[in-house]
Amino acid sequence: MLRMLGITKSYGSVRANRGIDLVVPPRTILGLLGENGSGKTTLMNVLFGLVRPDAGTITFKERPLADHTPREALAAGIGMIHQHFMLVPAMTVTENVMLGWDAAGRWLRPAAVAEHIRTASHRYGLDLEPDARVGALPLGGQQRVEIVKAILRGAELLILDEPTSNLSPPEVSGLLDVLRRLRDEGRSVIFISHKLGEVLAVCDEVVVLRDGAVAGRARAADTDRAKLARMMVDRDVSAPIAREEGAAGAERLVVADLVASDATGVERLGGVSFSVRSGEVLAVAGVDGNGQAELVDVIAGLRRPTRGHVFVDGADVTARGVTGRRQAGLAHIPADRHTTGLVGDMTVSENLAFRDCDGPPFRRGPWLDFGAMRAAATERIARFGIRAGGPDVAARTLSGGNQQKLVLARELTRRPGVLVAAQPTRGLDPGATRFVIDEVLAVRASGGAVLYVSTELEEALVVADRIAVMYRGRFAGVMRRDAVDITRLGLMMAGALSESPDAAALYGRKAR
Amino acid sequence: MPPASRRIDLAAVRALAPPLLAYWSLAHGAFGSWDRIAVGLNRATPYALTGVGIALCFRARVINIGGEGQLALGGLAATWVALHMVPAPRPIATLCALGGGVLAGAAWAGLAAGIRLKRGVHEVLATLLLNFVGLLIVSEVLQGDLGEPGSGFPQSPLLPAASWLGRLVRGTDLHVGVLIALAAVAVGHVALWRTPFGFRLRILGASAPAAAYAGISPARALMSVMLLSGGLAGLAGAIEVLGVHYRLIDGFAHGFGFNAVAIALLGGLNPLAVLPAGLFFGFLETGAVAMQRAVGVPTPLVAVIQGLTMVFVLSAMGLTAGRRRV
Repeated sequence: MLRMLGITKSYGSVRANRGIDLVVPPRTILGLLGENGSGKTTLMNVLFGLVRPDAGTITFKERPLADHTPREALAAGIGMIHQHFMLVPAMTVTENVMLGWDAAGRWLRPAAVAEHIRTASHRYGLDLEPDARVGALPLGGQQRVEIVKAILRGAELLILDEPTSNLSPPEVSGLLDVLRRLRDEGRSVIFISHKLGEVLAVCDEVVVLRDGAVAGRARAADTDRAKLARMMVDRDVSAPIAREEGAAGAERLVVADLVASDATGVERLGGVSFSVRSGEVLAVAGVDGNGQAELVDVIAGLRRPTRGHVFVDGADVTARGVTGRRQAGLAHIPADRHTTGLVGDMTVSENLAFRDCDGPPFRRGPWLDFGAMRAAATERIARFGIRAGGPDVAARTLSGGNQQKLVLARELTRRPGVLVAAQPTRGLDPGATRFVIDEVLAVRASGGAVLYVSTELEEALVVADRIAVMYRGRFAGVMRRDAVDITRLGLMMAGALSESPDAAALYGRKAR
Repeated sequence: MPPASRRIDLAAVRALAPPLLAYWSLAHGAFGSWDRIAVGLNRATPYALTGVGIALCFRARVINIGGEGQLALGGLAATWVALHMVPAPRPIATLCALGGGVLAGAAWAGLAAGIRLKRGVHEVLATLLLNFVGLLIVSEVLQGDLGEPGSGFPQSPLLPAASWLGRLVRGTDLHVGVLIALAAVAVGHVALWRTPFGFRLRILGASAPAAAYAGISPARALMSVMLLSGGLAGLAGAIEVLGVHYRLIDGFAHGFGFNAVAIALLGGLNPLAVLPAGLFFGFLETGAVAMQRAVGVPTPLVAVIQGLTMVFVLSAMGLTAGRRRV
């Protein structure tokens, strides 16, 4: 159905696509795997007409496709469903489907379109109510609106970019069913994902990209997770994570009875107390939106608590600002690296310095020392393996994994005593995730205390010495690593179980 | 040459002559003599000064459109100091008057910043409305205490000569303020691109959450950049009074504040580029006066040219938006 041959595209000195061949037969779900920065997004943008390739040809349904616009790609029958939905939340499903659709006619006929939606919804098991307001739908429902939009516009090839990253497990299996039905109907799907399990479950064929080239292809039936992972990163990310079981030391981060509200005055943090010791990771698990963001913000100094105290290495930093806490030895990896952790339009070297520009080595007298900034950036690019065109390129041009490495490089070269990491692996591929986890464990090994907030339970279990579950602004429970009970953790996350943890679990024992 | 084509040529010349004459008189009015150039440079001085301050504000996403009022108050304060201070020799008297202008401009901008921070009124509104207050204060004072008795025009008496800005070139009107403007442009450039202060302004302008994460206090940054920008506008007002008019005249600040916003944008919010933008506006205006005298083209046409320039330049910058440095 689709043949892309020899696609090549460079951005400056970075070669995002190096002669990629991609062939999608009819009635096929093709998994496109690759780390962040491996060239998946560029390739799909080329296909969809958002980016013009330097070289290469595209044939779709036996017809060449060159110098096309996204509109022409749509008209040819290629539908793209982005990770961030392109919907108007205040409008109904019908209105969103009609929006920008020529076939909706000059005079809108909502009833007819609604009927189309009902038919398609029934046929593919999309379970959509045409009159529902899109903003009121769960994320899985919004995604199905995008799918119905693409189907009604006549898309024969659907591209889904990381479609499962925001979905709950039942929603994921529902989506995979929908994709299978679309395939059985004669359409093809390109399924872009990091999640090997889902790829193996739904895809017929898998193509793996690495460094802008095809690293391997396989029939899903003939391969397994380990083989795919090795193709993706060229090193074994499934290798066991090395963690030394040392004795936890003195308390470095102490949080006492923190209460905080959000901007609208709703209490989000209802009295949380705990401590994290030297050489220890306390993971905070829980479904997103249960006060984790507020907890991190209060500890980092971005939000004032209405009650309670934060101590770093014995010093009460509650009244200090961000700078004061940083000087006390607190490092912070914010959950949102796009607008908080980094300034996309600034250079790599400026981003590596922007939390430390008030003292040496980046400040010399009244001046900002650009030479020192550039030198430090060059050194950190090498040390953290950041794939960037140099210290003077805009941070925006880096891939997600490399952007997060930038944040890590800035926060960790300070050798912090306390690290607060909020969702540090969100949206990262296995290779970058592994890098982040290794770096976090290195902080632990060198005597730092780490508070690690994650919504991925599996990941929290990997890093944690103790694991706490947050539910509605409180700790529903804390377990030591050697006493973890997955069932109880699950119940706590769902709010079905809350146990008042003993002091040993909350504050850690002095020695092990 | 056959007669027919010669006729066409003549017709073309006839048709072209008036606009060419108009352009020639515009250019001649702007650059025709050292004196004209001096007038243009003097005119560009307040533009460059105020434009640099506004460029720094806009870099931090602080929308200060109160240049007009800050400039007017700067001129008023310089006048008051010059008229009321004990007699002093030349450089001291001038420096005191200039200092008064800086303080008054900074105070006026600081007032707007304070209203923003304490009362939550957006600085666009606060600075805009304080313009009217500032201009009316100047009018009021000129009708009363500071007015020249019996002149029949709202203006102050001539300032003591000791407070006048020195001439840079004998025989022309070129005053020392031009050098001050050059220095301000250089300082603005260095401050924005070479100091932690400018770095903080740029981070704040690029992303407010990142600025909070970097430990930057938005309140402190807003106040400091407003004081700086107001001080520069006040200095521009003082220079206009002490270097051009030698007295405070009602309406002397008219147009400076808003044109300075245009100049800051025209300069891409880069202090160095504000200089040519200011010069362009300055010479265009002095040339326009000459053009009106010579061929009767109304001066408002220059406002049209300025407007078109803005539209063209900003559209061109929009095309390169992704590639500009923040």
